[in-house]
Amino acid sequence: MEFELDDDQQELQRVVRDVVGRECPPELVRAVVAGSADGDDLWTTMVGLDWPSLTVPTDDGGMGLTAVELVITLEELGWAADPTPFLATTSQYLPLVRECFDGDARGSRLAGVCAGRTGTVAFAADTARAESDDNGGVGGDDGGWDLHGTATPVVDGDRADEIAVVATLPDGAPGVFLVPGTDLDADRAPAFDGALHVADLALDGVRVDAARAATGPGVAAGVERATHEALAGISASTVGACRRILELVLAHVKDRHQFGVPIGSFQAVKHMAVDVYVAIERARALVHFAALAAAEDDPRRALAASMAKAAAGDAQRLAVRHGIQLFGGLGFTWENDLQIYVRRAMVGELLLGTAAEHRAWVGHTALEALPAPADLSEGATP
Amino acid sequence: MKLRFDDDTEAFRREFGDWLDAHVPDEAVSAERPRSTAHIPAWARDWQRQLFDAGWLVPGNPPEHGGRNATLVQQFVHLEELSRRRIYASYNPQGLSIVAPSILGYGTEDQKRRWAVPVLRAEITAALGMSEPDAGSDLAGLRTRAVLDGDRFVVNGQKVWTSGAHDADVILAFVRTDPDAPKHKGISVLVVPTDTPGLTRRPFGSIVGPDDQDFNEVFFDDVEVPAGNLVGPLHQGWRVANGSLGHERAMIWLGFAERLDGLVTDGGAELRARGLDADDRMVDWYGGLLIDTYALRLLGYRGLSQTRRGTEGPEQSILKLFGSEAEQLSTLRLLEALGPAALDPDRRTAPLDPLGFDSWSASWFERYLRTFAGTIAGGTSQIQRNIIAEKVLGLPR
Repeated sequence: MEFELDDDQQELQRVVRDVVGRECPPELVRAVVAGSADGDDLWTTMVGLDWPSLTVPTDDGGMGLTAVELVITLEELGWAADPTPFLATTSQYLPLVRECFDGDARGSRLAGVCAGRTGTVAFAADTARAESDDNGGVGGDDGGWDLHGTATPVVDGDRADEIAVVATLPDGAPGVFLVPGTDLDADRAPAFDGALHVADLALDGVRVDAARAATGPGVAAGVERATHEALAGISASTVGACRRILELVLAHVKDRHQFGVPIGSFQAVKHMAVDVYVAIERARALVHFAALAAAEDDPRRALAASMAKAAAGDAQRLAVRHGIQLFGGLGFTWENDLQIYVRRAMVGELLLGTAAEHRAWVGHTALEALPAPADLSEGATP
Repeated sequence: MKLRFDDDTEAFRREFGDWLDAHVPDEAVSAERPRSTAHIPAWARDWQRQLFDAGWLVPGNPPEHGGRNATLVQQFVHLEELSRRRIYASYNPQGLSIVAPSILGYGTEDQKRRWAVPVLRAEITAALGMSEPDAGSDLAGLRTRAVLDGDRFVVNGQKVWTSGAHDADVILAFVRTDPDAPKHKGISVLVVPTDTPGLTRRPFGSIVGPDDQDFNEVFFDDVEVPAGNLVGPLHQGWRVANGSLGHERAMIWLGFAERLDGLVTDGGAELRARGLDADDRMVDWYGGLLIDTYALRLLGYRGLSQTRRGTEGPEQSILKLFGSEAEQLSTLRLLEALGPAALDPDRRTAPLDPLGFDSWSASWFERYLRTFAGTIAGGTSQIQRNIIAEKVLGLPR
């Protein structure tokens, strides 16, 4: 048991923190939101540093690291409210392709990510279906598929080079279909975090040939496993945004004087800040656990992923509420950078299942696994 | 980062587990229950002495002090294994975890032989005399006075909350020996036998009930204590206090983790038995409880890794704060959800653990009340928040 980052992981954290602090200041995020800049230079920097290839196996040209290194990186990017397609490419698209495809379909995409191509996942098993097109479909009977339905909300669905659509097959099982972004009718959807792209996809009429489809018996498990990494990834991003909120708050309450003293000397203020800190530590521990469980293929990986998402949700709830409150009126302005990270923290809560949904899943799953009822009742049921 | 202990550590765990399987006293033997934290029934004295002799009582100690020079991680695994099986190595926990290590750490060879080893071997029991009516969170403000007069100290004053004092053979008392020095610098530590003339112990009931008597007021009225009972240098008691309370700091969270585990097990069984396992509120409660339980263990493991590497910092204070509050709120939510079914103060909520404390299977009401030991004793949650705010977050005093 070694539940602390090792030296290499700490070094990675330092490097990412340094680069992101320099290359992704609040001014850049503001400019992206205002439409006067895009994050392309930042993305180019990240690709130049090989960050997208972090978890690509070395045989496929990547750095061969694990989900732990990925969540370390994503926490720092959440801290900076990163406007690039890094989150969806590395924590959604990459794991899904790695788990569900093989041969050239897999190899070419992993190599593509290393070279800076972007991707995302439309988790749309509830709203999208795939039908075999061999009974008169557009492309003849080459084993291809026609997609129907919609997918929403898809992070980076309007700008990713390729979208991996999880849709339901005629037999009810999930399939994964790789669709070039240019083949899709995607509308960027309004979202309160303007630095994050979210899109609604219309899938009717999209045709996917067999080489781009994963429909075999192992796909359901692959989708599950990829989902665990996606949950760990977005949770790490939320934790990072919460950490940024806390940092801003701490700097403010040390600096702001009222009644002749820094307001950070008041216990009411201290205790709220500590509660935010504890919530962040709790969430980060579970994010690392989720990443480690995925990396080591531990049987608790599904439980860990949902726990991480729920705890990240709890952390953002407290960080946002206490964060704005502790800034007082100064926190209620557009000029204050706090709003940038408040948006990034809260947007994570609303995607891929809320804290309440994941907590309920954890509770249900654990209660179902309990041994048969003991004879405790003695007719005392209320 | 790794999710598992290495093979050597697991081999150590198995060795201890095998020993426990072969030696744990059976239920019939353990029928006589302890009545306070310094009352050890005869069978439990035998049990503790067996652990001592086998080097399994405090594995980090050398063999002559009940151990086997175990590493930090081995010591942790030992505690984890006891906790997992709900086994108590000693029914005089403050003797085992605070008094004996303080004397072993700061005392003379003679003092170790006279008090530390007998406490570890359960030949005598000990209480810890720290808190006073006016010195709680502000412990360094303690006023019980000890005046050196030739070869003895004369002690006057009062302690309170002194757990188990009425059943203890000795009290490790923190006393003021230099009233003119700054408050942290005039404190000394004395071993005071409880049968010394002038020492009066008055046990009092806890909020659980008038018969739940563990706390004591202890009055010192010209109590004469030999100068040889001074532990550590004169006026250096604050160092001993910090050392004493620090002994278990790296692992104190295990107690909270253990009780959260108890809630997971006993609370889950309760929900099942009452058909509440599909109730949305209770599913939410159970999910949150599991998340807290995992998070506490993970943070504890992280702390253990840091301690082992020597990078331990003040952030470990969150373990007590988080663990105690998670336990308290979670117990309260279950109690509320059960409604009238939780009224009976005598209904057990889990099978009695023959080698555990009876209070841990008591009614939900009592279990809730007892969670306040976690949020009040050893530095209240408010003090913990102040410490974290100042030492970790860097906020001004």
